[in-house]
Amino acid sequence: MRRAGWLGLGVIVVAAPWLVAAAVPRQQRYVLHVLIFTALFAALALSYDLVVGHVGSLSLAHPAFFGVGAYAAAILATRAGWPFLAGLPAAALAAAGVAALVGVPLFRLTEHAFAVGTLGLALVASVVANNWVEVTRGPLCITGIPKPTLGPLAVTTLPAFYWLALAALVAVGVLYRGLTTFRLGRAFHAVRDNEPLAGAAGIDPLKYRMLAFTIAAALAGGIGALYVHYLSVMCPEEMTVALTVNLLVIVFLGGVGSLRGVLVGAVLFTALPEVLRLAPTWRLVIYGGLLLLVIVRSPEGIESLLRRVTGARAGR
Amino acid sequence: MISDVLEQLLHGLTLGAMYAMVAAGLALMLGVARLINFAHGEFFMLGAYAFWFGYSELGLPYAVAALLAPAVMVIFGVAYQRGVIRAILPRSWHVQLIATLATSIVLTNLAIIVLGAQPKEVPTVLSSRILDVGGLRIAWQRLLVLAASLLIFWGLHRFVGRTRTGRAMRAMSQNREACAVVGVDVQRTAMVTFALSAALAATAAALVSPLFNIFPDMGTTLTLKAFAAVVAGGFGYVNGAIAASFLIGLTEALAGSYVSYAYKDAIAFLIMIAVLLWRPQGLFGRRIGI
Amino acid sequence: MTALLEVRGLVKRFLGVTAVDEVDLAVEPGELVSLIGPNGSGKTTLFNCVTGYLAADGGRVLFRGRDLSNAPPHRVARLGVARTFQQVSVFPRLSALENLLVFLQQLQEEHLLARLVRTKRVRRLEAEAVERARRLLGLVGLSAKADDAAGSLSYGQRKLLAFAGALMPDPELLLLDEPAAAVNPTMINQMKDHILALHREGKTVVLVEHNMDVVMDISQRVVVLDHGQKIAEGPPEAIRQDPRVIEAYFGR
Repeated sequence: MRRAGWLGLGVIVVAAPWLVAAAVPRQQRYVLHVLIFTALFAALALSYDLVVGHVGSLSLAHPAFFGVGAYAAAILATRAGWPFLAGLPAAALAAAGVAALVGVPLFRLTEHAFAVGTLGLALVASVVANNWVEVTRGPLCITGIPKPTLGPLAVTTLPAFYWLALAALVAVGVLYRGLTTFRLGRAFHAVRDNEPLAGAAGIDPLKYRMLAFTIAAALAGGIGALYVHYLSVMCPEEMTVALTVNLLVIVFLGGVGSLRGVLVGAVLFTALPEVLRLAPTWRLVIYGGLLLLVIVRSPEGIESLLRRVTGARAGR
Repeated sequence: MISDVLEQLLHGLTLGAMYAMVAAGLALMLGVARLINFAHGEFFMLGAYAFWFGYSELGLPYAVAALLAPAVMVIFGVAYQRGVIRAILPRSWHVQLIATLATSIVLTNLAIIVLGAQPKEVPTVLSSRILDVGGLRIAWQRLLVLAASLLIFWGLHRFVGRTRTGRAMRAMSQNREACAVVGVDVQRTAMVTFALSAALAATAAALVSPLFNIFPDMGTTLTLKAFAAVVAGGFGYVNGAIAASFLIGLTEALAGSYVSYAYKDAIAFLIMIAVLLWRPQGLFGRRIGI
Repeated sequence: MTALLEVRGLVKRFLGVTAVDEVDLAVEPGELVSLIGPNGSGKTTLFNCVTGYLAADGGRVLFRGRDLSNAPPHRVARLGVARTFQQVSVFPRLSALENLLVFLQQLQEEHLLARLVRTKRVRRLEAEAVERARRLLGLVGLSAKADDAAGSLSYGQRKLLAFAGALMPDPELLLLDEPAAAVNPTMINQMKDHILALHREGKTVVLVEHNMDVVMDISQRVVVLDHGQKIAEGPPEAIRQDPRVIEAYFGR
């Protein structure tokens, strides 16, 4: 019975471009754009949840990794003529490299200092993006990033890009599942829930935090590459603290540590404001207000509500 | 040449004094109430706008407007404390961080909507008068900032060291559980500390606004730099935060002038990172208490 | 005959207080030793230094001849030293069964790919781990709670779970911090039986304990600390009558 439900949902999601074309032919481009954004954001939120939800490190540095990957892909595509399939892994690797480099000193800090340190990293990355004009063109942005090509296939139409974004989301989702269940998931959760005991169990907390941190950064970088190939433009504004707030909202209001929760949160908080056509400032005010309200009243977010409704078992 | 360097040093001291007043408030909240307040910079920003409103819009004399800012912010601070802080204080620091970060976003964007994103200038008599001492030129306002900050730090030191509330603050920062047992009014002390930290930030804003532009976003970077100072000085240790703030201010001014203006905002973090690499517990280590 | 665990001249200071003051301790393989002393005498601090949670300010810790002095907790654990904590410590969001499985992580670590792809070999190892975990849960009487979140268990049940967890990797040396504290008499007897069973199997056990009945009942040797110094050492009957020990507990 439930299998049929999931299958049906899957079909709808894959067939979306056609359904949209049929339902709202004049808004087609806009709706597809929103869907693509939602898929990319959902993937980014999942990568963020790996660090925040599963290993329990409140990192505020995610925009930096997204930005590093985005700029790497943008530069390689426009200056060195690299094809998408080469630029994507390069972007992921660049982001992972930065994470590996800063992670070691960062994780030596206490939790609070870690959060501040990651925030500082995000700021430094933002400042560099704005000022290293020779490389990033600063506020002038890097433009003319070509549409991605998958071998002989050129991803030029919106539906094609939608499917690419969807495929990326599925890939990230599968990876997320694999990393957060079974033995590796247990190790992450052990470090998150009781670090001293994890040590007594022979688990090296630093190793596992670095693992989650670096993988999450690589994913963020890869998504950044997809992002710039979609928009054809990369500006420093894309990697500010506002992105962190967006991610925090999606993860904490959707349900931290839960695949379903994060997906629901991504759909709600990416699609909804687009649908409501909110101005960016008002959007942030409402987001901030909502986040404040929910975090103060009900820290588990929508996921705990969902859990209570569907009566899921304990131990997750 | 020497006068240039000296000028930059004085600019650095002014900057450092501003950072120090903001960081001191942050360190107090951290030390006394264990609160991570990411909206702290917004107290500065709102205080600056309050000063601007009093001085430019209402035409109040400088001293009155400069006192209006902390007064307004104390009221706002108490309201915020009642509404939000009290609810998040017993919770995990993740909740505190996210809640205060959310507040910061709300306040910043509301400021953009209500007051406009264009920067405002509030030149005062003292900010345009320059003191010229043998080739060394410095605005009187900067001297005022330095003098006022020294006075404030001295006052703070006496308050924390001599008064009953100050003693309660120190006790809370050392052993919170014991405080309730011996009859320290934990709630009231926390509220006073919060009001004090808001007042410090707003006073700094009123002193410094004539020298710099006022814009809605100014709080965010300031919060981060204040945190960098707090972390580098040894979490929750007020004097450490003050010392680190002056270090950051001086380095920023000198590096901004002689190395690169564009990257000066990153200086605070580079210093913090350097300090933490050398001593993960901060410059002044794991002291107990503020 | 080299001692299994050797502590030589261990020193640990906190802000002017010397918590552990030049303590020497040698534990032979198969021994059952109790570490006692008034509150604040440095027993748990000693444990923390031995198991890597605190860095000693002086002296050395040797396990099977290897210097453990600067090893972090996970490295100490992997060498075959298990411990429990004074404040009962479990992974609250994992089930009781999963709690135990975590303790085998160290022995079953494979390269990253194997952890992502559930190959036959990985599946087999996991099945073996589950079997062992179920057996231990049965041993401590928690079989019925295998799938319940550890955070939902009672204090005594969590204590037993933590104990079972320490046993999962089949350690050579067990350091138990107050296994009989804050539990009812039935549970105390249960604990005593478990510890004696371990001793019969040839495991080396060191306990920190305040409950004198337990200490006198099961220990082969008792070591007494007071204000960070070792003041007496010997069989239980001798310690019971040692004037220095009596003074340390009652004299001041």
